[in-house]
Amino acid sequence: MATQTDSESGTGGVMMRDRFVKRLGEVAAAGFLVAIGGLLVWILSTQVNYTLLASPLIAGRFAEAFVLVLRIVVVSSLLSVSFGVMVGLGRISTSGITGRIAKGYVEFFRGTPLLFQLFVIYFGVPRLWATGQFPIQDWAVPAAIIGLTLNHAAYVGEAIRGGISAVPDGQMEAARSLGMSRVMALREVVLPQAWRNALAAIGNDQIILVKDTSLLTVIAVPEIMSVFRNINSNQLDPWTPLVWVCVLYLAITMSMSQLVNGLERRSDWGSDSGMWGRLSSGSSDADGGDG
Amino acid sequence: MTRERTPNRRQYLTALGAGGAAALAGCMGGNGGGNGNGNGNGGGDGNGDGNGDGGSETIVIGSDIPYEPFEYRNEAGELLGFDVDIAEAVFADQLGLDYEFEQTGFDGIIASLNNANFRVIMSAMTINETRAEQVDFSDPYFTAYQTVLVLEGGDIAERADLQGATVGVQRGTTGEAAAEDLQSEFDGDLEIQSYDQITGAFDALLNNQVSAVINDNTVSADFAAETDGVVFLEGDGVAADRDDAPDYLTLTIEEYGIAFRQDDDEFREEVNDALAAIREDGTYDEIYDEYFAA
Repeated sequence: MATQTDSESGTGGVMMRDRFVKRLGEVAAAGFLVAIGGLLVWILSTQVNYTLLASPLIAGRFAEAFVLVLRIVVVSSLLSVSFGVMVGLGRISTSGITGRIAKGYVEFFRGTPLLFQLFVIYFGVPRLWATGQFPIQDWAVPAAIIGLTLNHAAYVGEAIRGGISAVPDGQMEAARSLGMSRVMALREVVLPQAWRNALAAIGNDQIILVKDTSLLTVIAVPEIMSVFRNINSNQLDPWTPLVWVCVLYLAITMSMSQLVNGLERRSDWGSDSGMWGRLSSGSSDADGGDG
Repeated sequence: MTRERTPNRRQYLTALGAGGAAALAGCMGGNGGGNGNGNGNGGGDGNGDGNGDGGSETIVIGSDIPYEPFEYRNEAGELLGFDVDIAEAVFADQLGLDYEFEQTGFDGIIASLNNANFRVIMSAMTINETRAEQVDFSDPYFTAYQTVLVLEGGDIAERADLQGATVGVQRGTTGEAAAEDLQSEFDGDLEIQSYDQITGAFDALLNNQVSAVINDNTVSADFAAETDGVVFLEGDGVAADRDDAPDYLTLTIEEYGIAFRQDDDEFREEVNDALAAIREDGTYDEIYDEYFAA
């Protein structure tokens, strides 16, 4: 840092000075804030119909959609993380068959759009039965959960695999040399560290899962965007329901990033700042090399 | 060295930027005009501007495709349909204008028209009061009925059976509105599933996700004719005493119109005259028989 401030005499001129660049950044950020803030205030004061915004009819419909989205998110999230761990373990399997199948799974579900997968499950699968014979009557929500789970398990699986390969080989070797089987070493030594490595990527993916529920509008799940579209097409007023949409999604995604931050802090037992630091390091030898 | 004489990359970019800014200003000007006109209903100022922008150019028609037999593509991708043929007769033959169809979603179609994304809407659109607050309609060019499609031999045998059932509709359509009316009639005891396109609702009927589809009779008739096991719900509806009415249950009677922005009166009059002319000279009947001959 200190050596860089000396470089103002160099060829880069004023743009190479740390302080100038920092101030420039502040000006740009403040300008951005003022522009966006101004636009927001203008929209909120001229475009939003507050009587409509607060009307219990609309609030009730958004609340219903919100609860439905929360339920879908909780179930798909738990399922996709559990299933994703299996996919990740499959990816690092020493068996060629398991590894290839897991790889194929990831390639397919990461390589095709979620929208396509939802259409296959919601419109395609029931057509395997004769007309009107498909046994599950309210298929939209189960189809949504299956689609979100299969899709996000692929991403979680890749995050887990990345987390595992970031654990130094020495960890596995040391555990094996103590007489542990490969499975035991994975479970007791490698996975706890891999989990910590993968947590940020998994959390990121789960937040994307929340936003992906907006696609469910096309398979007639009465979620948040569907309520917006219905109100917009009846009232011909986009901004008022859009305020609801924005607040509701942020309510879920922001509390999820809090949760992920908390989990990351909890699992950060390698460093002093970890709040469970002493407790965990006492009972486990896994925090050896990295700091 | 050469910086002063030949335009270098930076100057080129500046020029581009200026051009872009000018173009942007042009767009925004157009939008501003559109908005102003939309808001000030009675004002009538800036009419000339609005018309001038798109008048001599191709008429862009907003339409939610597919909605067979009004607008749909065949296997070769050609656009066909009653609306398409009427557009050909009205805009090309009668008014001598170029036209093209632009695909758009039905639930945002009126907002798109008022944002000047296209000049008119031809999308089997029913004339109703809510819509007429936002747009002006041409004279009606088609009569339709909201009807109920069910599976043959399914749970729904008459209108009363719909209570407690789940029905499929297309989002933003008068079919959805008819379903909502039915829902209030049953004190909320009717579940409505709204699909982006009518084909989604038809799929849902075949897939046992909905017990019935509420939609315009002509479109539903095409689907019922093409699909085994799908029939109209029988019963005496609102149109029972009309001669030309279908013989199955009708929930509402509706008329289709071409929608215009509210500042586009002059063009709307021209189109009304053209519609009258094709009814006069038999073109309309020819087109009608092509799609709806009994």
